[in-house]
Amino acid sequence: MYDKTVRRRRAVLALLVVLSLLLLTAYFGESPSGRLHAVQRDFLTVVSPIQDGANKALKPVRDLFSWFGNTLHAKSQLAQSLKQTEKLRRELVAAQAEKRTNHQLIALFHLDQLGVGDYHPVTAEVVWKDPNLWYSTVTIDKGESAGVQVNDPVINGEGLIGKVAQVASDGALVDLITDSSMGVSARVGTSDATGLLQPKVGEPGALLLQYLPANQANVGDYVVTSGTVAPPPYESLYPPGLLIGQVTSVNEESAYESVTVHPSANLHDLDIVQVLTAGAGTKPSNLSRLAASLPAGQASGAAGEQLASTQVGG
Amino acid sequence: MTGAASGSLALRVAAFALLVVFFQIGVVSEVPVFGVNADVSALLVAFIGLMCGSTAGAACGFAVGLLIDLALLQTLGLTSLVFTLVGYWCGRLRELRDPQAALTPLLVGAGASAVSLVGYSLMEFMLGVDAPVSFELVRQIVLGVLVNAIVALPMWALTRRVLEGALPDDPRRRRRRRSYTTGGLSPLIKP
Repeated sequence: MYDKTVRRRRAVLALLVVLSLLLLTAYFGESPSGRLHAVQRDFLTVVSPIQDGANKALKPVRDLFSWFGNTLHAKSQLAQSLKQTEKLRRELVAAQAEKRTNHQLIALFHLDQLGVGDYHPVTAEVVWKDPNLWYSTVTIDKGESAGVQVNDPVINGEGLIGKVAQVASDGALVDLITDSSMGVSARVGTSDATGLLQPKVGEPGALLLQYLPANQANVGDYVVTSGTVAPPPYESLYPPGLLIGQVTSVNEESAYESVTVHPSANLHDLDIVQVLTAGAGTKPSNLSRLAASLPAGQASGAAGEQLASTQVGG
Repeated sequence: MTGAASGSLALRVAAFALLVVFFQIGVVSEVPVFGVNADVSALLVAFIGLMCGSTAGAACGFAVGLLIDLALLQTLGLTSLVFTLVGYWCGRLRELRDPQAALTPLLVGAGASAVSLVGYSLMEFMLGVDAPVSFELVRQIVLGVLVNAIVALPMWALTRRVLEGALPDDPRRRRRRRSYTTGGLSPLIKP
């Protein structure tokens, strides 16, 4: 009985496999107009109405499944779109940053043409900014290895930024012109009247140009660095004609007047700056060395520049 | 098993297989899941084999395969051959091991799907279909097996419900019968 069952099982399997192989061989070997192909076409003709009916009957089921599928697909598409949006946003930010950098570099290039010939400009990137309200120092990525020295002027395309306060091998700390230790010999517009520009006490971000002869400044006038106006060794650290800012108000004080100046450079948005380094033995280099050698309290730009201004003013 | 019961089972299997094939062609083939389509016809063949035995499984596999080849204008005999082997092996699994674990349908469904997908691909390659063996093909096969494994349990439940009462030798009934009539596995009682 068992043998009979086994034999029958194997016989059925063999029969079906052989039948399949025969069908396969015959179908594969014959032309499209052959008998098996014709059977297939006839079968399709017979079942196509059934298929149509089944298709229509099953459409709601298919739609239901499709709805789930489409919903899942929509979710994945949403995730993909969000990812793409994020990527495009990053690219946009990068492009905008590049554009701004480009503008700054172009501005610096134009500045180079204005004549800071005695200096060797070193382009640097601001790598760290003082996050506090007063925002008076920044750190740049160029230092002694690039020829940067203490007291070197720092500029960008908009004008004077500040000066190097401390220098390391591959970085430097820059005091901005709004720092309390800063003082710059400056003049208003094209006049010869010079004064000392310092941060305005109690008003962060504003500068005060003092010791100006009366009736020399008007609101809206530009304030630029005066450069060297004193005899050696009291020359200015900064080259002449660098834009610093614009006069916003004028205060009469007896024989002198002082004006409030708004910096032209956006000190809260610094990315690329240029350090005006001086070659060894040149005048700027000697000045820097002299300023650095002053005793504490006088070594700051304010003290040095005040000396120069006093000489002139006095 | 009487002739009437056998006829009833064959009728049920035939009707159910026809429905499943049309459902496969009309609905399942048009609803991709994870980029692939489930193949409930392969699951049907596997479960018929698992419930009815190797002969019924092989016969069902051949018939279902032939129906699919005819309806989809595919190479005649190709799906029949693959499904015949799938149905037979699933039937043999039942006859030799009689697996009763809850996950058996899932594993058998996944295995049957893998065998049918790989077998079909191999046969197509042997017949000279100009398609490169790529990672995409492997991905499709793996995803197909996974999707079929997901569908396997509901399909098993449905097949079982449709064929319930007409099955030749329900493993549950057989187990119950054995424990009642022979006293279970006690060595003190001779069978």
